[in-house]
Amino acid sequence: MRSVTRLAPLVLAVPLSFAATGVAFAGNGSATAQLKPVPLNESHASGTATVTVTGDRLDVTVDVHNILANNPHAAHIHFGADALHECPTAAADTDHNGHINTTEGGPAYGPVTVSLTTSGDTSPKSTLAVDRYSTAPGGTIDYSRGSIHVSPAVAKAILNSEAVVVVHGNDYNHDGKYDGKTKSDLDKSLPTEATDPNVCGVLVAAPSGGAATGVGGGSTGTSPALIGLGGALALAAAGTGAVAYRRRTQS
Amino acid sequence: MASAALTVLAAGVIDVGVTQQHPPAPEPTAATSAPVDVPATPPAHPHHRQPRQPFGPVLTWSAPTGLAIPAIGIDLHDLVRLGRTSAGALEVPSSFDVAGWYDLGPAPGQLGAAVIAGHVDSTSGPAVFWRLGQLHRGDLVRVPRRDGSTATFRVYAVAQYPKDHFPTVAVYGNTSNRAELRLITCGGTFDAGTGHYRDNTVVFARLISHPAATA
Repeated sequence: MRSVTRLAPLVLAVPLSFAATGVAFAGNGSATAQLKPVPLNESHASGTATVTVTGDRLDVTVDVHNILANNPHAAHIHFGADALHECPTAAADTDHNGHINTTEGGPAYGPVTVSLTTSGDTSPKSTLAVDRYSTAPGGTIDYSRGSIHVSPAVAKAILNSEAVVVVHGNDYNHDGKYDGKTKSDLDKSLPTEATDPNVCGVLVAAPSGGAATGVGGGSTGTSPALIGLGGALALAAAGTGAVAYRRRTQS
Repeated sequence: MASAALTVLAAGVIDVGVTQQHPPAPEPTAATSAPVDVPATPPAHPHHRQPRQPFGPVLTWSAPTGLAIPAIGIDLHDLVRLGRTSAGALEVPSSFDVAGWYDLGPAPGQLGAAVIAGHVDSTSGPAVFWRLGQLHRGDLVRVPRRDGSTATFRVYAVAQYPKDHFPTVAVYGNTSNRAELRLITCGGTFDAGTGHYRDNTVVFARLISHPAATA
């Protein structure tokens, strides 16, 4: 029995070492977006975005495949307290021109809060800094950037699954570049192809805590020799383990 | 600190080792059981990550259709889909002989950490992921996908964490620009008071192949 009473506290030693290495802020976590084509915008692209939040700092990776190659793709994290925290549906095409522009998507995903530029400023001021976004060589965006600082409200929104990643830039006429008569709703010097949303995904916060992936039948039911021990261990865990925690925190 | 804790854990295993000879699989109550290959290089904390690491092989989205882990005799031809519970926790499969894919995260092969979870035991005995803690660094995990491709991952760490100190960011967060896989089940001691195991066993693996989709 002595061995049993020793085991529980020893198992608990692992978390303490992990806890010591990491968590400085309460607001830490991660969120992942499945990036899917925005309806009506003729996209065949898809990908993922992952954001790790450490206090007010973001580490962001974005991977998109099958998007227009060799042209800049503005990419942002959107959030608005009044937005739906969603990606737009086909119903967002309120001017009925057959495409959803960035403004039409606004009620779904809200304004830009982070510009996912490759260098320099990441604030909304860089929303259309087309010389600082990935140009998708080979039709693939592989984007990684750390240490992006945001407001507490934006960090909280990401961890609440309320922020949305949008990657822009389409080629409706399949000529390999941004052009066409329709001008961008954001900047009349740009064609709408350059700024219309291409893929979109809500950043869904990672599940919290561990997984309830066992009910104990294996710990007591597999061998007669284990039946007694399983029960004893369970008791030890319920009792001694808690005591061990208290001791640790006092020392 | 980590290595010190590990050494002591090994001693703990020896204490109860006598109980392990009967079941064919590691006894989850002692699942610290030796197979735990705690990361010589634990998943990088984002703080320490280089800002621009090269991207590894990455596949496009396609739903996984099974799971094969020859080293521990797992060969599943279906996976259920898992989301989040109303409390925000990871859903778990409703039956004990299937594993499930967390489909709000990456698909296996996509950039980021794809997550597949399964039970370690049922009310009456071992379940689908009973032997997960026996995996070692270097073991292969294959995930067939609906597009006809198979994503092959190599295990680089097996670790055990108390559920109340579960490292969410290491498991679900950024992956240093790699397509990775996490296999999750229960481990540690079973708490009869709560009806749950105290720990989770997590297997960390990286995509090694870049197969072309055939469909």
